[in-house]
Amino acid sequence: MTTLASPDRSIRKGGQAKRHGRGLTGLLLVSAPVMLLGWLIIYPIFNAIGRTLFVKGDAGVRFGFDSYHQFLTDGYSLSNLWLTLWVTAVCAALLMATCLPLALYLRFAKSRVAALVQGLALFPMFVPSVILAYALIRTIGPNGAVDLVLNAVGLPKINSPYLTPWGPIIGLVWDNIPLTTLMLVAGLGGVSDNAVEAARDAGARHFALLRHIILPQIGNAMLVVLSFTVLSIFSAFTLPYVLGPASPEMMGPFMQRTFSQVLDTRMAVTQAVITFIICAGFGAFYVRSIAKNREARR
Amino acid sequence: MTAIDPVTMARDSHVPTHKTKKTDWLGLGIVAVLGLVVVVPLVVVAIWAFAEVWRYPSLLPQEFGLRFWNATLARPDVWGAMFLSIRLSVTVTLLSAIICLPAAYAFARLDFPGRNVLFLSFLASHAFPKFGLLVAIAGIFLNLGLISTFWGVVLIQLVGTLMMMIWIPVAAFQNVDRAMEEAARDAGAGPLRVFWSVSLPQAAPTIFAAVLLSFVGTFYETEGAWLIGAPEIRTMPVLMITFINNQIVVQYGAVLSVLLWIPSFIALMFTRRLVGSASFAKGFGV
Repeated sequence: MTTLASPDRSIRKGGQAKRHGRGLTGLLLVSAPVMLLGWLIIYPIFNAIGRTLFVKGDAGVRFGFDSYHQFLTDGYSLSNLWLTLWVTAVCAALLMATCLPLALYLRFAKSRVAALVQGLALFPMFVPSVILAYALIRTIGPNGAVDLVLNAVGLPKINSPYLTPWGPIIGLVWDNIPLTTLMLVAGLGGVSDNAVEAARDAGARHFALLRHIILPQIGNAMLVVLSFTVLSIFSAFTLPYVLGPASPEMMGPFMQRTFSQVLDTRMAVTQAVITFIICAGFGAFYVRSIAKNREARR
Repeated sequence: MTAIDPVTMARDSHVPTHKTKKTDWLGLGIVAVLGLVVVVPLVVVAIWAFAEVWRYPSLLPQEFGLRFWNATLARPDVWGAMFLSIRLSVTVTLLSAIICLPAAYAFARLDFPGRNVLFLSFLASHAFPKFGLLVAIAGIFLNLGLISTFWGVVLIQLVGTLMMMIWIPVAAFQNVDRAMEEAARDAGAGPLRVFWSVSLPQAAPTIFAAVLLSFVGTFYETEGAWLIGAPEIRTMPVLMITFINNQIVVQYGAVLSVLLWIPSFIALMFTRRLVGSASFAKGFGV
């Protein structure tokens, strides 16, 4: 597989009439998914914003920020938001700390062991979150496998992260290792062996090499990884719901509870729009990065 | 920037650097740590699935056996959820293939107005936090009466497959050898015939991987099923969450995990090459 999207050259050779016909065919072929995209992604976003800003009262439709005001003055909602932001920051830091060394190893290793490392690093991608959640409870939960082993060698039990914010953090980091590593390895693909060799010949040590040759090259990849992590943790539901604390709770379970149990659709949608706003900057950066990549490859 | 496959990168380099016969201790160390962190939790689950009695603080179960497999498989809710999950995944994957594959071909091979903007908008749909989006859609479905219905969940999960079913097949169609197509055309084959006998067979393995990934992804999709499907539509992952929360019998969850993991394992076998390739990561904007 190589790069995406480069216009078909053979079409360019075709006559104007033929091109016109193909244009219609193309539009027709993409119309179904585009309509679905419009109906189930674009429309809901605007609908959500509208629903939270306009209230149908006795005296007709009224405009107001009252639902946002309610969220921003409610201590419980705010502590949920802070928890989510904190978990996001910790996860992003932990992911960088684990995946950058992994990616560097995979990029520069020449041994057969590297294939095994790659296999293991990608493996979590094929473990669904529900199974992961269950496995983590059995492993690091109270009286889990880790406790069994510690007990067998005469050490005290661990302070189980289950039902604390560290539960979802461990799960989310585990879950995000494969994609983060893949993206960083792809980013490192831009660092040429020649540059690294030259720097090494000039006497650059490992740290200098990393700082002056490698990091400047993968800055963009790291920012994309960061955006992706923020987006995926703000939309995490299963792991925080199963492994995380009940109060305060992360935004995912909080929105779900507000919608399904409190039955306050408007408040749930308000919480959703707040996650949109917080992620907007990262989302915009992410889109810009995709667009730039596609430009560069044309 | 060209696409570089990390597997081949790791195996053979074009520039001979530090080619030593030394044992790769660093690599073995990473393998040990990753193995411990990644594999051990799953092994623990597998042991639980075959444990009949496992009381603290024994390191291994006191009794092994298949009693809980029979007990789990005798539960009607497990079979109900299993058939529902399969029915949902098949419906979603089929619908997704029908609407996405022609679109992918068009994006890859045809020139039409708005092509780039539309393609970019599919990739950009990842730029919104998914769960917030689900809540926004749920607000709309509530008015349409789609909450807690089969088709409501189908629609939600269909949206989840859109991106993968467009972007991977686009790459597949672009990699088809043009010279072979032209040769077939010169030999007098019509456009449909060229597509069916030349283009499709070349793109098929990658498309198959995308279809398989969509099927497995839909099978395990939890958030949409939970938010839109509750309480009527109980898929396997949703059932699994109830088992975890209610903690009825530890082994039920373990047996279900082992059962549930089978489709994932098959996907792992077939799609490892695709997922390992750099272009997979490029789709995320790196």
